[in-house]
Amino acid sequence: MKYLITLIGAILIIAASFVAARATTVKSLTNHSSIFDTFEDVNGTWLFTDKIGAAAASGVERARVALGGPLGLSAKEAVYFVATKDDEGTPLQSQCTYRVTGPKIDTRWWSLALYDSITQHYVPNAENRSSWNNVSVPRADDGTWIINVAPTPQETTWIPSQEAPDKNFELMLRVYNPSDATRAQLPNIELPTVERVSC
Amino acid sequence: MLSRILFYSLAAGALAAVTFFVTRSMVIQKAPVKVMSTIEARIVAGAGSWNACFHNQVYGPRRNAARRANPDSIISSMAYDLSDGPVRISGETWPRYWSLSFYQQNSDNFFVVNDLELDGPIFNYLLATDGQDTSELGGTRIVSPTVKGIMLVRRFAADASDMPGIIANQEAMTCGPA
Repeated sequence: MKYLITLIGAILIIAASFVAARATTVKSLTNHSSIFDTFEDVNGTWLFTDKIGAAAASGVERARVALGGPLGLSAKEAVYFVATKDDEGTPLQSQCTYRVTGPKIDTRWWSLALYDSITQHYVPNAENRSSWNNVSVPRADDGTWIINVAPTPQETTWIPSQEAPDKNFELMLRVYNPSDATRAQLPNIELPTVERVSC
Repeated sequence: MLSRILFYSLAAGALAAVTFFVTRSMVIQKAPVKVMSTIEARIVAGAGSWNACFHNQVYGPRRNAARRANPDSIISSMAYDLSDGPVRISGETWPRYWSLSFYQQNSDNFFVVNDLELDGPIFNYLLATDGQDTSELGGTRIVSPTVKGIMLVRRFAADASDMPGIIANQEAMTCGPA
C-alpha cells in the first residue's frame, strides 16, 4: 500500500511538472516579442541578429525564430535589424506618425517592412503596402531616403500603420548581400533614424 | 519521522525539477520541427505533392503568408522528401535578385546561393542525402542533413510591374524526382 501511494504521488508530480513546463515554455516561446529577446541592441533603436537560420543558434533562438519568423536566410546571405522603439526609446505605436530617415546602405538590396507586433503579420490596408525597398523608395542624390509611417495617408513614401490606436508595431530592415565594407562593420553600420513626428 | 518527510520532500522536488527541465528541453527542440512540418503540409497542399514547385504569384503583402514574411520577395517553394531518391531543381535565375535556399527539418538554413555566385543564369541542382549516389545524374550536388525539408527560391520585385517577368521565370523552373 505504501509503495502504491508513493508511485501515485510520483506520477502526479511528473504529470503536474510536465503540464507546467509545457505551458510555460510554449508561452515564453510564442510571446509576440520573444523572438527579439536574444537580439543584440545596436543603438537603442535597432536590434540585430546574425543567428537566423544558423546552426550556431541556441535551441531557444532557433525555436523563437521558427515560431515568430520562419525560414529566414542565414547571415551568409542576409542580415536583419528590427526596431520596436523610436529614437527616444518609446515603443512604436499605431496612432503616432514617424519619419524614418535612412542613409545609402552599401548592399545589393534592402527593404524596410512594418509588422503588427501582436499578430506578427503585415497590417491590412487599402494601399496594400507594408514595405519599401532600395529600388522603389525615392532617394536623394546622396542616396538618403525618407519613409513616413503613419495611420493616415502621407504625401510621399507612406507605410500605413493602423487606424486603431495603441497597437504596437515593429520595423524590420533586411539587408541582402551586404558589401564587404558593410559586413566588416556589422552590426554597427549607419542605420535609419526613427523619429516620432506627432502623436 | 522528520527525516522521512524531508527525504520525500526532497525526492518530490528533484523529480519535479527533472521533469520540468526535460519537458522544457523537449518542447524547445520539437518546436522548429513542428513549424517545419506545418509549412511543409501547406506547400504540399499547394503544389499537389512533395518534391514539386509551388509558386507565389502575387505581389505585396499577403494574409496567408508566414509570420513576418518579406512582401518584396516573390517565393517559389518545395517541400522535399528524399526517401525515394534525389530531387532536381533547375531553371533560370532572376536578375534583380535570386537565391536558392534549403532548410533542414530543424529549420536551419543549411545551404544558400544567389545569382551573382553562379557562372551564368542557368541553374541545375541535385538535392540528395549523404548516402545517395548522384554521380550518373548530372547537376550540382547538395547534401541535405535530413530526409525532409524545404526549398525556397526568392526573387525580388521592386513593384508590381516586375510580376509578369517573375511569373514567366517561375513557370520555366522545374522541381521533381531526379
